Amino acid sequence: MRLEKCWFCSSTVYPGHGIQFVRNDAKVFRFCRSKCHKNFKMKRNPRKVKWTKAYRCLHGKDMTQDSTFEFERKRNRPERYDRNVTEQTLKAIPLITKIRHERQKKHITNRQKQGKTKERERDAKELEQDIQMLPKKDVMLSTQKTKVVVKVSQQQTEENLMEE
Amino acid sequence: MGGKCPHRKVKKRRLSHKTARRGKFLVKADDAVYDELLKLAEDADARQLPVDEDLPGMGQFYCLHCDRYFASESVKEEHYRSKRHKKRIKQMSGPAPHTQLDADLASGMGMPDNGLKLMSM
Repeated sequence: MRLEKCWFCSSTVYPGHGIQFVRNDAKVFRFCRSKCHKNFKMKRNPRKVKWTKAYRCLHGKDMTQDSTFEFERKRNRPERYDRNVTEQTLKAIPLITKIRHERQKKHITNRQKQGKTKERERDAKELEQDIQMLPKKDVMLSTQKTKVVVKVSQQQTEENLMEE
Repeated sequence: MGGKCPHRKVKKRRLSHKTARRGKFLVKADDAVYDELLKLAEDADARQLPVDEDLPGMGQFYCLHCDRYFASESVKEEHYRSKRHKKRIKQMSGPAPHTQLDADLASGMGMPDNGLKLMSM
């Protein structure tokens, strides 16, 4: 038994569900429900339809790269039955799905944090514009400090070169 | 216009309009055209159009992007200048069309596992 994925929306197609279209060049298109089939017949591009997985992945709405995605694969060779392996995989499945859901949740909360980069940009701009407002001592100190750091690093590199 | 649909009971809708839509069914899908274009790019103009009596212009004036046959060279040139053709070219020069593999990857599956290579060629 194979659980196929819908061509249009990438959801799982369970046996006895959906519809399958075989084009006259022997390409198979599986659809989970009539909604997806109709959208295919209308020649819509799943990358441009907002409710499909393809759109969501392409636009960074969902987590795409994760180690938990490596387990479910289409295996194009017969797998020899092994009772132990089967048992272990059955045990692992709920664990892996739990981890994946947690990571997805984290991804979405991170994604929905508002204006992080904008805030940083605004701060940088403000600092650049109004740096004269700071007392001169602080500015001088900060510049001096950086200078010292640079010197040290340069010395280190030179020493390293000498050693090499 | 169209043949009869024997199983339809309603008098108004007894005629089928499928033959009118035949052209729509015969048009090649986007991904098929895209594959063809890739194949042609590899071959580098080694393509010869076969002579076919049934096609317009003996099948010699063909637009690959739009999958259309034309009656003569001049008509083909005119087609090349059309908005529809330019739109099509833009579409075909973009990213590869959506495939089942894309759908699988988007759903959280890994790349297909074909196992070890049994024959070392």
